[in-house]
Amino acid sequence: MSDPIINVELFDANFTTALCPELILVAGFFALMIIPNLGKATFRIPGTQIRVPYFLGGERYPIFANPRLPGWIATITLILAFASVLMSFDGGLKRYMIVSGSKELLLINGFSRLFEMIFFGAIALAAIASMNRMQSFDSSDKSTNALYNNRRQADFYILLLTTAMGMAIVALAQDLFVLFLGLELASFSSYVLVAFHKESKEGTEGGMKYFIVGSVASGIGLYGLSMLYLWAGTLQLGELAVAFDAAMAPQGYPALPLIALGFILVGFGFKVSAAPFHFAAPDAYAGASSPVAGILATASKAMGIVGLTRMLLIVASPESNDDSAIWLVALGILSVVTMTWGNIAALGSDNPKRMLAYSSVAHAGYMLAGLTAIGAWNWDPELAGHGGDAAIMVMTAILFHLVVLVCFKLGAFLVLSILESEGEVSKMSNLRGLSKREPLLAVSMFIFMISLAGVPPMSGFMSKLLMIMGIVKVAIGNMGDAIFNGDLLSIGDAHWVWWLALIMVLNSAISMFYYLRVIVTMYFHEPEGDRQGPLPSGWQVRTAIFACVIASVFFGINADGLIELCEMAANSLNYSWASQ
Amino acid sequence: MQDYISVPLVGFPIIASLIIMATVSNLSEEMREKMVNPIRWAILLFSLGLLGWTTAMFYNFFVDLNGFEGIAFNNYEFHKRYIWVESLGIYWSVGLDALSFPMVWLTTLLLPITIIATWDEKNGAFYHPLILLMGGALIGVFVALDLFMFYVFWELTLIPMFFLILKWGGEDRKYAAQKFFIYTFTASVVMLLGLVTLYFLQNPLDPLAWSGTMTGRTFDIPEIVHYATIHNSGGNWFLGASMQKIIFAMLMLGFLVKLPAVPFHTWLPDAHVQAPTGGSMLLAGVMLKMGAYGMFRLPLALFPHALEYFQLVLMAIGMVSLVWGSIVCLGQTNLKKMVAYSSVSHMGVICIGIATMQPMGWAAALFMMFAHGIISPHLFAVCGAFKHHYHSMEIGGMRGMAKHSPWLATSMMFAWMASLGLPLLAGFVAELMVLIALWHFLVAEGWSVLWMVGPALVLAVTAAYYLWSMQRTIFEGGDETQPPASMDGQPIPDIANHEKLAMFVLAMLTILFGVMPWIALDMMNDWSVQIFEGLIMPILGNFNGGV
Repeated sequence: MSDPIINVELFDANFTTALCPELILVAGFFALMIIPNLGKATFRIPGTQIRVPYFLGGERYPIFANPRLPGWIATITLILAFASVLMSFDGGLKRYMIVSGSKELLLINGFSRLFEMIFFGAIALAAIASMNRMQSFDSSDKSTNALYNNRRQADFYILLLTTAMGMAIVALAQDLFVLFLGLELASFSSYVLVAFHKESKEGTEGGMKYFIVGSVASGIGLYGLSMLYLWAGTLQLGELAVAFDAAMAPQGYPALPLIALGFILVGFGFKVSAAPFHFAAPDAYAGASSPVAGILATASKAMGIVGLTRMLLIVASPESNDDSAIWLVALGILSVVTMTWGNIAALGSDNPKRMLAYSSVAHAGYMLAGLTAIGAWNWDPELAGHGGDAAIMVMTAILFHLVVLVCFKLGAFLVLSILESEGEVSKMSNLRGLSKREPLLAVSMFIFMISLAGVPPMSGFMSKLLMIMGIVKVAIGNMGDAIFNGDLLSIGDAHWVWWLALIMVLNSAISMFYYLRVIVTMYFHEPEGDRQGPLPSGWQVRTAIFACVIASVFFGINADGLIELCEMAANSLNYSWASQ
Repeated sequence: MQDYISVPLVGFPIIASLIIMATVSNLSEEMREKMVNPIRWAILLFSLGLLGWTTAMFYNFFVDLNGFEGIAFNNYEFHKRYIWVESLGIYWSVGLDALSFPMVWLTTLLLPITIIATWDEKNGAFYHPLILLMGGALIGVFVALDLFMFYVFWELTLIPMFFLILKWGGEDRKYAAQKFFIYTFTASVVMLLGLVTLYFLQNPLDPLAWSGTMTGRTFDIPEIVHYATIHNSGGNWFLGASMQKIIFAMLMLGFLVKLPAVPFHTWLPDAHVQAPTGGSMLLAGVMLKMGAYGMFRLPLALFPHALEYFQLVLMAIGMVSLVWGSIVCLGQTNLKKMVAYSSVSHMGVICIGIATMQPMGWAAALFMMFAHGIISPHLFAVCGAFKHHYHSMEIGGMRGMAKHSPWLATSMMFAWMASLGLPLLAGFVAELMVLIALWHFLVAEGWSVLWMVGPALVLAVTAAYYLWSMQRTIFEGGDETQPPASMDGQPIPDIANHEKLAMFVLAMLTILFGVMPWIALDMMNDWSVQIFEGLIMPILGNFNGGV
């Protein structure tokens, strides 16, 4: 990472290299709009009999009329984008900053590349899994219903691509305005995606709720941004960080940016579904089709974490050693409330999708605890010692968690998606007897559940362990050294974030209850009356589930490579603790 | 040195059983039924192979104890270390010492015996591989010399046991299985936090060997124990007094729940009563010992000061478990529940043995772990036979079974006698040693030796409930045999040949280790003395008359 950041103006030499994945998305976006519409349309030059073909519209060519085509285009686009991110790691990652004049817009480094991988990977899996979810008809069927349903296919995948695009912009943004643009692009697409599940009554209701609550949260966030602009006169992350540093000095924070920060916290808190902004999440997840719910629980959450990381860790700078950062306490309380609330609510929910939604609230709580710990990196110059390393470790844990979450949380939603193709999945009893009907699916779901619960040797355990280790490392800091120099220290002398780790492990024990219930239901109940035999569905979604299972187990047993990748990404956050 | 542990003892059972289960799950029902026989024979041969392997280890290296490095404190035989997660300092690190070897041998012994005793358990194509998987995970716990690996296997044992209870258990199995899982999981996550805190309390400025590239600390147990021993000497407390006590308490919570000790014992009777016979045999035989093993391996070796500080608390927990377990036994009408509570009381004996802080007490606790590991599977095999043949375990529901089932009656009598501590049987040796160590402790502390009355009385109570239940079920009634109502007037069978074989082997071993305890006791004794001399004496002096 010794290479300097290369500044790239719009359409400069390096522009396509730097933004290759996003450009692929744009290309795919146009392909999705054009290719299914290719037909024998002609245009008659007025006053003549000459018909000039212009190919858009008219009777579709048979190969382009296939209703499954948009799914393939979107999937291939996303996989290409994912591959191009992977390729960019080849031979050492180059860092680029997309600038416009003196304004920094987008930063491409390890951190944003990793998030691009999360977003594209998750959405690609969801796209594969959606391929045979939506009803489609043969292209020769000319009924309105058939035309309408076939048309929806393209809409759905266009929305998936715009979601991916918005999320990628959030990950890259170095300017709060650009960040907000990306956030809204992703949010609006996902509002529609939630409501897209028109087969169920809850779909529209969930989409509506998600939209209303989401736009209120965005509005509040936007208000916070405007206050920040009022205070600092800029929305550039780098300049804001400098302004915060200057303002913090002896007299503590002025009120205006703190209030702004609180508002922004609400906006992103909704995205990560942190309590008490999570109320729309269970409804949205239960209403959306399962792959979309999976996106909300993984990629959308990762997007919220990017926003929080940028705002809290880069702009608002870490806790100084006089314990003055109010936001740290607020975030700590928020994380405890979130994880406890999520777990307790999940205990009582009988709808598997709501249960997974609440469990994702709980996971948001764990990640918020991690963010709190990062903020505390500098708590005591003597005891914290190399606090910067500890902060990097927590960041690594958060990133690791987000990556593996795509494997097992999305995987669980995909299993539900297969069940959904048979009928409603709104009760735990719909899962009954899955082990008899589909042994492999039941084993996959079992692996996802114990991974979510954090049982070794699954990747969920590794991510939880890393998170605990990171938090404890921040809290303990250099106490080992102090103790061996004769200081008598106790747990009370560690930073209070240590207690977050304790609450976290106790919470993960609570969560055991509801994950076990799924396993018990699958393995030890007879199938419901009219739900017998193997499930209908194609190979695509099964392939996606299989990939998730392999990844869930692999990253648990052989985590070293992914940890190193995440550590590299965490290091590249380019934030004061990295230099310490 | 060759790696004698990783592949044959841990990797092979786990991978073989996973492959068998994956293959079987893709077969049709009829094929599955056909495959049961080859599968259980294969699993039996596998497990006999494991037993042969560990026995060969014993003969090659352990009989001549002077040549066995594992006797010395913090030295391990067959020690191998491979990189696992380098950035965090996690290694796949295995080794045996005189603490873990008897447990590993016991596990490999109980595997074939469990398989034979429950030869025709239903759904055998999954059952027997699951038993083998359980065995692999248990051995993994005992051979792990890395905190991370230890914790991974510690939790991994839950999964096969959870499925054993859930799939083959009794009426209330769902409740029991979940209670079992959640109790032990909750305790062990607290233990995990304790381990992580311990990990980060290493001095980063002076990293130990095998430290992670990212954290600068290590999970390596020998390294940490060595480091702790250095810092515990000269009147210092490793990590400082209050920190040592806190981490000691966090680790002990995990181990005491697993043991289980009163007041954390309530999961055990439920799990045992609902578990199938094979599950109970492994649960009582080996899995409970994980708690005691963990206490020896970590808190005792790392925090001797804290152990001394909490000595009386631990003693009290042991006493209460012992007394409470026996008293509750008296009130049981269910044979298996009674046996389960008697396990609680025997685990109390182990607790007392550790709390005496005498080499003899420790050796006694180790031998108790071993002896109980042979006797309790026998008890549960008998209970399982009752359940299997008479469909009932109600003590009050049957009379005079000796007449109809002489084999079962004999086995039951033998097992019951072994468990109540009849001289010349294995359990007696351990109980006697614990009592002697307790006597030493009381004398050294200047306490009244009248405290001995408690445990001694409890032994009488033990005899009472065992004799009472035995008399009711197999003897009373004379010629008027009263089969349990659940038999519905069908003829009363005796136990099957495979059950006879399993119980006979266990009985012979009980006698063998009762008459010649030194086969196992020698290495335990030497190890206890070594750890006492290597760990406790430099720190605390030859306090309270350690023998």
